[in-house]
Amino acid sequence: MRPASFSLLLVATGLMAADAKLDFNRDVRPILSDNCFACHGFDAKKRKGKLRLDTAEGAIALKDGIQAVKPGDPEASELIKRILSKDPEEVMPPPESHKKITPAQVDILRRWIAQGATYRKHWSFEVPVRPPVPTATKDLTPIDAFLSTEMTAQGLSPGAEADPERLIRRVTLDLTGLPPTPAEIDSFLKDTAPGAYGRVVDRLLGSSRYGEHMARGWLDAARYADTHGLHLDNERSMWPYRDWVVKAFNDNLPFDVFTTWQLAGDLQPNATREQRIASGFNRCNVTTSEGGSINDELLFRYAVDRTDTTMGVWMGLTAGCAVCHDHKFDPVTTKEFYSLYSFFYSAADPAMDGNILLTPPVLQLTTPEQEKSLKDFDAKIAGHLKAVRDAIASLKYVDPASLTPTPPVRTGETVWFEDAFPEKAKVEHSGNPTTFVEAGQGPVHSGKRALKRTAKGVAQDYFTKGAAFVIPPNGVISVWTYLDPENLPKSIMLQFHVGGWNHRAFWGEEGAIPFGKVRTPERVNMGKLPEAGKWTQLKVDIAKLGLKPGMKVDGFAFTQFDGTVFWDRLAISHRIDEAKDIQWSFKLWSEKKQGSRVAELPGDLQNLVRGKKAAEWSAAERKRLLDWWLENEFQGGREQLDGLRAAKLAEESRKKALNDMIPATLIMAELPQPRQAKVMIRGQYDKPGEAVSRGVPAAFHPLPKKETYDRRDLAAWLLSPANPLTARVTVNRYWQQFFGYGLVKTSGDFGSQGDSPSHPELLDWLAVEFRENGWDVKRLVRLLVSSAAYRRSAAASPELLTKDPENRLLARGPRHRLDAEVIRDQALFVSGLLSPRMGGKGVRPYQPDGVWEPVGFTGSNTARYTRDTGEALYRRSLYTFWKRTAPPPSMIAFDAPAREASCVRRELSNTPLQALALLNDVQHVEAARAFAQRILKEGGATDDTKATFAWLTAVGRRPAASESQVTLDALRAHRARYAAQPADATKLITFGESKPDASLPAPEVAAWTLTASLLLNLDETLNR
Amino acid sequence: MNDPIQDHLRLLNRRSFLSTAGLGVGGVALAGLLSREAKAANTVHKPLAGYPHFAPKAKRIIYLHMNGAPSQLDLWDHKPQLQAHYDKDLPESIRNGQRITTMTSGQARFPIAPSLFKFAQHGKSGRWISELLPHTSKVVDLLAVMKSVSTTAINHDPACTFAMTGNEIPGKPSIGSWISYGLGSESDDLPSFVVLTPKSVGGQALFTRMWSSGFLPTRHTGVALRSGGDPVLFVQNPPGVQPADRRVTLDALSQLNAAGHREFGDPETLTRTTQYEMAFRMQASVPDLTDLSKETAATLDLYGPEVKESGTFAHSALLARRMVERGVRVVQILHRGWDQHGNLPKDIARQCQQTDQACAGLLLDLQSRGMLEDTLVVWGGEFGRTVYSQGTLTKENYGRDHHPRCFTMWMAGAGVKPGISYGETDDFSYNVVKDPVHLSELNATILHLMGVDHHRLTYKFQGLDQRLTGVEERRVIKEILV
Repeated sequence: MRPASFSLLLVATGLMAADAKLDFNRDVRPILSDNCFACHGFDAKKRKGKLRLDTAEGAIALKDGIQAVKPGDPEASELIKRILSKDPEEVMPPPESHKKITPAQVDILRRWIAQGATYRKHWSFEVPVRPPVPTATKDLTPIDAFLSTEMTAQGLSPGAEADPERLIRRVTLDLTGLPPTPAEIDSFLKDTAPGAYGRVVDRLLGSSRYGEHMARGWLDAARYADTHGLHLDNERSMWPYRDWVVKAFNDNLPFDVFTTWQLAGDLQPNATREQRIASGFNRCNVTTSEGGSINDELLFRYAVDRTDTTMGVWMGLTAGCAVCHDHKFDPVTTKEFYSLYSFFYSAADPAMDGNILLTPPVLQLTTPEQEKSLKDFDAKIAGHLKAVRDAIASLKYVDPASLTPTPPVRTGETVWFEDAFPEKAKVEHSGNPTTFVEAGQGPVHSGKRALKRTAKGVAQDYFTKGAAFVIPPNGVISVWTYLDPENLPKSIMLQFHVGGWNHRAFWGEEGAIPFGKVRTPERVNMGKLPEAGKWTQLKVDIAKLGLKPGMKVDGFAFTQFDGTVFWDRLAISHRIDEAKDIQWSFKLWSEKKQGSRVAELPGDLQNLVRGKKAAEWSAAERKRLLDWWLENEFQGGREQLDGLRAAKLAEESRKKALNDMIPATLIMAELPQPRQAKVMIRGQYDKPGEAVSRGVPAAFHPLPKKETYDRRDLAAWLLSPANPLTARVTVNRYWQQFFGYGLVKTSGDFGSQGDSPSHPELLDWLAVEFRENGWDVKRLVRLLVSSAAYRRSAAASPELLTKDPENRLLARGPRHRLDAEVIRDQALFVSGLLSPRMGGKGVRPYQPDGVWEPVGFTGSNTARYTRDTGEALYRRSLYTFWKRTAPPPSMIAFDAPAREASCVRRELSNTPLQALALLNDVQHVEAARAFAQRILKEGGATDDTKATFAWLTAVGRRPAASESQVTLDALRAHRARYAAQPADATKLITFGESKPDASLPAPEVAAWTLTASLLLNLDETLNR
Repeated sequence: MNDPIQDHLRLLNRRSFLSTAGLGVGGVALAGLLSREAKAANTVHKPLAGYPHFAPKAKRIIYLHMNGAPSQLDLWDHKPQLQAHYDKDLPESIRNGQRITTMTSGQARFPIAPSLFKFAQHGKSGRWISELLPHTSKVVDLLAVMKSVSTTAINHDPACTFAMTGNEIPGKPSIGSWISYGLGSESDDLPSFVVLTPKSVGGQALFTRMWSSGFLPTRHTGVALRSGGDPVLFVQNPPGVQPADRRVTLDALSQLNAAGHREFGDPETLTRTTQYEMAFRMQASVPDLTDLSKETAATLDLYGPEVKESGTFAHSALLARRMVERGVRVVQILHRGWDQHGNLPKDIARQCQQTDQACAGLLLDLQSRGMLEDTLVVWGGEFGRTVYSQGTLTKENYGRDHHPRCFTMWMAGAGVKPGISYGETDDFSYNVVKDPVHLSELNATILHLMGVDHHRLTYKFQGLDQRLTGVEERRVIKEILV
């Protein structure tokens, strides 16, 4: 590409010489793109007057004697005439477009035509070629050589290097997301040998904190989160992918491998565990299971999201524009968009995520032993299933509804608990010892006595060994309860043990008793508490609890949260009328279930029952359903079936218990039979048009000739040396991370509506350098942070601020606010609270009450926030559980994206809510107090030495005398106040879960807490 | 008695004037400091240059979002002839092959469920309203009722996202954020866009994206005023810290930041100090906002018996009035629980009972203060409900599925024609037959009333001039404007 210099300043200050040669891409294309291309561009359907201005051929074409652009002759060019026309019918752009071309822009167009009206391909669509490094000045890194050329051209000179304290703080925060320790600062100050800075950089690149910090930016782009994102917004298990990203950065996985695994890890021959985890990139999109949703619409949306995200992250293209119409500015037609979409349209994940933790396909991260156990279970279950099937085959089922007369009605009841737990049961309890009351001592409903328990929090009486009861068909469990009106519980619960505690019914407040997963048989909401002060019989249908006939209940528990509760007579009864029972009559079952969702059915049968009327089922479909029903629902022939079924259920229950322990993560997989992608007319999922096959936009390099393509080909195409964008977009994102702005400011849009690069040659040089050196990310990062530009002082003179307010020319060093996570992590680190533990499931640190609750769907398993305790409060923010519909407020306040969509550039806002969070949020107050304790213990003998230690630890440098003075004045004011009101001091320093150090006087800790808070709120501390 | 906060506010005003003048940032006249506008211009974000585009009718807006979709058939869209169609199938000519949700698409038939509720004519306009809204009935002459509103999405999540951001796909700015971005703030101690989420009996989820700033600068995100704990997150000092202690910290902070600014010259440093001072003022103004002790009994009565209970709709409605009075530009109340797939008669009665009186009370309260003239009030859900019953239809009970093809909303106040009805649906309240209003057109109309041309309120993101009303051409519904 031709050198195109950075001209913002020149244009702005009107210094550009009238005869200077214009550059089409830099000077002209933005004007045409903004004002003309919407109607005279790439989108053929919207093209007006058959005029096309985005190509030379279109612009100079002679039509009815009129030429829009006549090279060399602006006055004869219709383009200029129409722009200048005063006639509302004639003038361009038309008034209703609300667009306006300024006189300065008209002048540029005029001169461009006068100079010959040369068109060039949009700069970023031409393959970058390594430009020669300018050699005018010696001893400069290549980066600085390129920057220097531009700086000189603009009449600026580079500033001095930053103080060593500020430099090491900047690079430490930038590479690890944590500040340097006083020891690290001092050792850098003392290291006067050449290469001291390089040694710091090497140390930081080798720290495992590096991967944690670098992963964050990528997780924004990947829209990683811990919930599904739509409607119920239930939890999803994706964190092994997050941990893989951290590891990939720490291992310095080359970017091409990093790319290939994430886009097509699952398709690699003999894909490894890591490759498959990495493919989770494309499972990070938001999904739903909202009742009433239409599958085709969701499948369409997921594929659009994946296409749009992939093209945005790797190529900086806003491909999503082409979902509905040909892209108006960039060469992506709608058909080409759907060709890309076709790569993702055959993903094997379902339209409805099922609101479950592990929406398939998933990868279980099993140990070899676990893997073997699971296989053993499968073999056993298969054996039991075969036995069940064989028994069914010998039964010769006859529908009882078809018999005359119909079979007689049968009833029965078994008492499980009356006056005592079952004989031989080993009774256990939590809370006070198990107590019974007799009539006279308290309320008794039947028999001689009732179970009584008074509790604070969760408490219970239960057994799991020594007795077992078989579940009958149509069982209804009943129990009598009496709640003390003077001491009401929040919630009461019955729990049943079948291999594990997987069946629970509760009354009262949702979540008070925290056992089991919401909205599953593990935790069934039975409604309000019964009326207090009288005996009430509570009844639970076994089906609600997932208890199947034939299962053996070998334990139960009476559980409560708070209050005093009496329990009496637990029993199970049943009534069987075969001809009217859907567990005996398949005909009745079919009628009853048709149109509804039967969650237990396999997917295709589920759709059949839900979507198709019974009369329309084919014979084969009916047979499959009948077989499934006989195996799973039918309760006749119990003599033959009960034992076999119970054995199978028990094995399944054991397998589930093991499965629940094994972490797993969502991964990509292809459907065995690909779905045919079609152009969706105007982006409407229910308007499929022309069928398309997998392919790439014609404006770019082609795919190699092959019969079929898959995501591996797409990844290879993105990484091909012929791809003009991937390397540029990637180096630009890293540049943005370290310098505040990308060389292309619009780091998410490299198309013709995006900004031109400030230093095009530098961008190309970096892109080629990166690609030709094995896509080595650490090498690239080292290159960036080793440049003189990065190492310069951030001090800005008023002149520099006027000339280059955004610091695009980098005559001064980069200065910007720390990201949300870094601000919190820094406070925890400085205070000594930060836990070094890496990886694992998302944690739930401090969060104000009422953030999830007011928005959460009642039945969601993320409707209530239960904060963790202990070490989990102090993990790095990367590991904070991320609920997309209500993300952590202390992150959002500092511009973290909600992770609903891919994000490659965060805002850096400056708001009063940030001030409130940093001054008042318990986690920051607690950190300030812990920091205060460090100051008191490690800061030396005097206030002066303590202030110096505090500054060095929090701000990364020793304070000037005046700064020390202001700090100590504040300290003394606080000290006087807390000495006078020590009760307030105690209140302040006991805020938060960790205990204050009892060996230190409370007023002194309190005074230093507010002083520490002051330092943690300094603008300098919040910036780097 | 000395009030340290008031003392400091006085001091601060003087100081911020002096320092501002000294730095030559704003050059504000001393007298101007006394007016809210001038103070606001000095400390909080200003309107964009050229905004408003023309004289606004509405200076502020209160948007009452009935989340879950209230049934137009049981509240507003009176169809007496449906009684004759009880339990008959919806004619195919009406449904016309339109898609329906998978919650009812498997239903064997679509039996028509006429409303159980009595309708009567009210006000000078003689508007038909259901007995469920006895209070709103009394103020019907203030309303412009639109019965022909429609949207595209058929499920809550995308439909709410559309109603609030003009797009079904998450990630776009909400209407309140757009207004805040264009018109700036009028308050120097409260945010420009506040959201209230009163308690409800269950209900569909809300999403922070419904008041998020999307790709706009995050300071335009709606601030959720909470009914429990701190009304604004972290607005309360930690235990054992008094405003005077905070003052010590902020004074030191401002001195140290000033030194940092001298060294680095970063203008953001001064902004940060200003934002800390704004935070300090918010700590005083938020408790004042939520202190209802100075409201008269007559005013409280307007909103109904639950008005003093934090977290009720009535309490939220009163807070909304108090906020717009204090210069908050946009207030949204998102009331959940309107998704009546089954047991509609009982549940919708509960919903109305929670909201009806306060909606009417809010209008009367604004009117009595002369604020209805320049305050716009909007009421409605994200879509409507079907004429046919979801689940079993009986004489006493029925449910209704989602219906995006027509539903009813109303607007009142600033610049809105009072006492009119706009748009008509067919005999089954299934299709719009006259004067359709797309939700995006409603949004265009809201912006218009606020003095903003919706074509011109744009923000460049991903290469496009993004706007609230999307890429399709949308018109302002001039017919409902004064």
